[in-house]
Amino acid sequence: MRRAETPDGLLASRRIVVCVGTGGVGKTTTAAAIALEAARRGRRALVLTIDPARRLADALGLGPLGNEPQAIARRHLEALGVPPAGSLSAMMLDMKRTFDDLVRRFADSPEARDRILHNRIYQHVSDALAGSAEYSAMEKVYELSERREFDLVVVDTPPSQHALDFLEAPARLLEFLDSRLVHLLLHPALAAGRLGFRIFQRGARQVLRVIERVSGLAFLEDVSEFLLAFEGMAEGFQERARRVRALLLGPDTGFVLTAGPAHGSAEQAEALLGWLEQAGAPLAGIVVNRMRVWPGAEGAPARLPEGDPEAAVAALAAALAAGEAPGFPAQQAARAAIAAVNEYAALVRRDARAVEPLRARARARGCFFRRVPELERDVHDLAGLDRIARHVFGEMELEAVHGR
Amino acid sequence: MAEASLPSLLERRLVIVTGKGGTGKTTVTAALGLAAARRGRRVLVAEVGRQAQLPTLFGAATTTPGPEGQPVHPGVTAMRIDPYAALAEYLGLQLGLRGLVERLLRNPAFHQLMDASPGWRELITLGKVWHLEQMQDPDGRSRFDLLVIDAPATGHGLTFLDVPRVVVSAVRAGPLRRHAALVEAMIADAEQTLLLPVALAEELPARETAELVAGARERTGIAVDRVVVNAVARPPFPPGLEDLDQRLARLPGETLLPGLPSASVLAACTAHLRQRFALNREYLAEIARGTGLPLVVLPLLPAGVEGVRALDVLGAALLEAPVGEPR
Repeated sequence: MRRAETPDGLLASRRIVVCVGTGGVGKTTTAAAIALEAARRGRRALVLTIDPARRLADALGLGPLGNEPQAIARRHLEALGVPPAGSLSAMMLDMKRTFDDLVRRFADSPEARDRILHNRIYQHVSDALAGSAEYSAMEKVYELSERREFDLVVVDTPPSQHALDFLEAPARLLEFLDSRLVHLLLHPALAAGRLGFRIFQRGARQVLRVIERVSGLAFLEDVSEFLLAFEGMAEGFQERARRVRALLLGPDTGFVLTAGPAHGSAEQAEALLGWLEQAGAPLAGIVVNRMRVWPGAEGAPARLPEGDPEAAVAALAAALAAGEAPGFPAQQAARAAIAAVNEYAALVRRDARAVEPLRARARARGCFFRRVPELERDVHDLAGLDRIARHVFGEMELEAVHGR
Repeated sequence: MAEASLPSLLERRLVIVTGKGGTGKTTVTAALGLAAARRGRRVLVAEVGRQAQLPTLFGAATTTPGPEGQPVHPGVTAMRIDPYAALAEYLGLQLGLRGLVERLLRNPAFHQLMDASPGWRELITLGKVWHLEQMQDPDGRSRFDLLVIDAPATGHGLTFLDVPRVVVSAVRAGPLRRHAALVEAMIADAEQTLLLPVALAEELPARETAELVAGARERTGIAVDRVVVNAVARPPFPPGLEDLDQRLARLPGETLLPGLPSASVLAACTAHLRQRFALNREYLAEIARGTGLPLVVLPLLPAGVEGVRALDVLGAALLEAPVGEPR
C-alpha cells in the first residue's frame, strides 16, 4: 500500500505534475492553478500547455505563449502572496518545432538531418508520426527537467480519449523502429535480392508487396528514404525515449486526473484511470471541476418545501410582495423560486452522484480527491486561478460557491 | 436575420457531423437521420471507431455490426465503421487475394506498422463512406438518399477531412493517390456534402467551433453553412421575473420561511441558475460572431436523450431554419 497522497505532498515531493483528462473539464486551468500554488510556496514553477491557450496567457497577463518559458510579472505574483523565491512561468509547446529539434539533435550528420527535414513523408507526417504530438510534449518535459531551471513543471496534456498516447508513444515508436518491416524498408535492395528470402519472414515481405500495390512504388521509396535517414539517429532517439519514459513513471512525477461532473465526463475519467493504472503511471489525485454545490450547510434537500406546501408558498409570496406595487405576481414568483431551487438541488445531487465512483476509486488508492465548485464566471485572470488553487489546496474544499 | 435562402439539411447527400466529445454529436447524427427518414428518405447513420451508441439511441439492441449495417428504425440503417474492417474490405477489393489479405491482417508487423501510421484510419473511413454513397440497389437507384456520419472526436474534426488532401499531395502516383482524390472530391462537393459542427454554449466549445469553421474554410473546401448548438438551457424564471434571484437576495435575513431554506440560500441557488443561463446566452452570441454562421439551437432535455421521442424533438429543431442571432 502506498502512502496517502495530499495536494500539499504533491507539491513538496514531485518535480513533474502531469494533468490528464478529457477536453472541456478545466484541465489547463487546473494545471495553471497547481503551478501558481507551487510558486506561492516558494518554488520556481512552470506550466506547459499544449493548447493554444490564449485564455491562459491572458489570465497570466502574458502575450502569446511560445516554445520557450515566459515569466509572469513579479508585481502580479506579489499581489497573490508569491514570495521572492517563487516564480511562475508559462509556455506553449510547439510540437513540430520540438520534433524538428529532436531530429537536429540526433541526426548523425548535417546531410542526414536535412534529408529528414526535407523528406516529403516527414513533412507530412511529423506532427502525427507515431503519436509524435504526445511524444514531443514528453520530450519537452524531459528537456526542461534536465535544464533544472524549474523546481516544478506542470504539464497540461492534450485532451484525448486515449490520453495515455503520450506515455505509449515512445514505446510504440521504438517498437516500430525495431520491427522487421522497418529493417526491410531500410534495405529494399536486400528484400529484392535472393538473400532477403532467407533472412526475412514471409509476412513482412507480403506487407511490402501489398503497400506497393496499393500505394505505388514512389510512396515506398519516399518512406524508405525517410527511414534510412532516420536510422542513423535511431540509437540516440531510443535511449532518449527510454529515459523520458523512466522519468514519467518514476518517483519524481505525479499524475493528476481532472474531470467534470457533466454527463459522460465522469465515465470517461474512470476509463482514463484504468489506462493510467495499466500503464503504471503514479496517480497522485483527482480534481473534479465545476461541481454544483449546495450553498447551505445542511446539504441539498430532497424536495422543497418540506411540510405544508401552501404555507411555504404563502410565506415566501408575502415576503416577496413587501414593498412591491399592488400588481406584483407574488404567488407566481414564490412558486417559480421554489421550482428553481428544486431544480438546482437536483443538479447538486446529480453532480454528487456522478463523481461518487471517482471518489471511491481515489480513496481506495490512497489518492487525494478534490472538488472545485462551479464558479459564476469562467476563470479569466490570476484572481480566478487563485480561487481554483485555494479550492484544490486549501481548507475551503467545500466552501459554498456563493458565500464570498 | 433569418437566412431564408439556406437550403434544408435534407437537400444534402452527405452530412458529416463534427464536434468535440461530449457535445452530443452522436445524438445529433441520430436525430437528423430519424427526421430525414420520417420525411421519406432512406438514411444511413454511421459512427466511427469502437463505440456503438447509435442503435441504443434508437432504442434498438446493439448487434455486432457487419458491412451491411443494422436497421434501427423504418428507413434508417445504422453502421459502425471500423478502420481495420474497412481496410480488410478495401484490400480485398483492390487485390482480390482474400488469403493474402487475411494473412496480412493477422501479421503482427503489419499491425505495428498500421498502429504507428497516421492518416490511414481517416482515409479508409472516408473511403468507406464514398463507397456507401456510391452503392446502388438492383434497380439502379442509390441505396441511401442521405448519409449522416458521426465523425471521430479525436483532435479537430478537420484532421479527419484533411487526410485525403494530404495524401494527394504526399503520394506521387498510384491507386492510393487516385482513391484519395475521389474522396477529396466528395468532401469538396459543396452541393452534396455539408460539414455540420455541433457545439455547446460554453467557453471552450465556442472557441473551438470558431477555429473549426475557420480551418474548414481555409483548408478543406468543405461546405459549412450553420452551427448546431446543443443542450441550450431554457430561462430559469418566468417572463417578467428575470430578476427573481435579486428579489430573493433583498429579503431580510430573518424572514421566516416554513419548510424552506433561508432566504440567502434561495437567493444563492437562483443566482447561480441565472448567471449560468446568462453565460449560456453570451456564448451563443459568441459562436454566432466567431463563426459568422447562423445557429440551430437545440433545447436541453432535462430527462436526457433516450428513445425515439427525444430524437423527434431534436430532429424537428434541427430542421428549423437557423437563426442569425439567439433570441
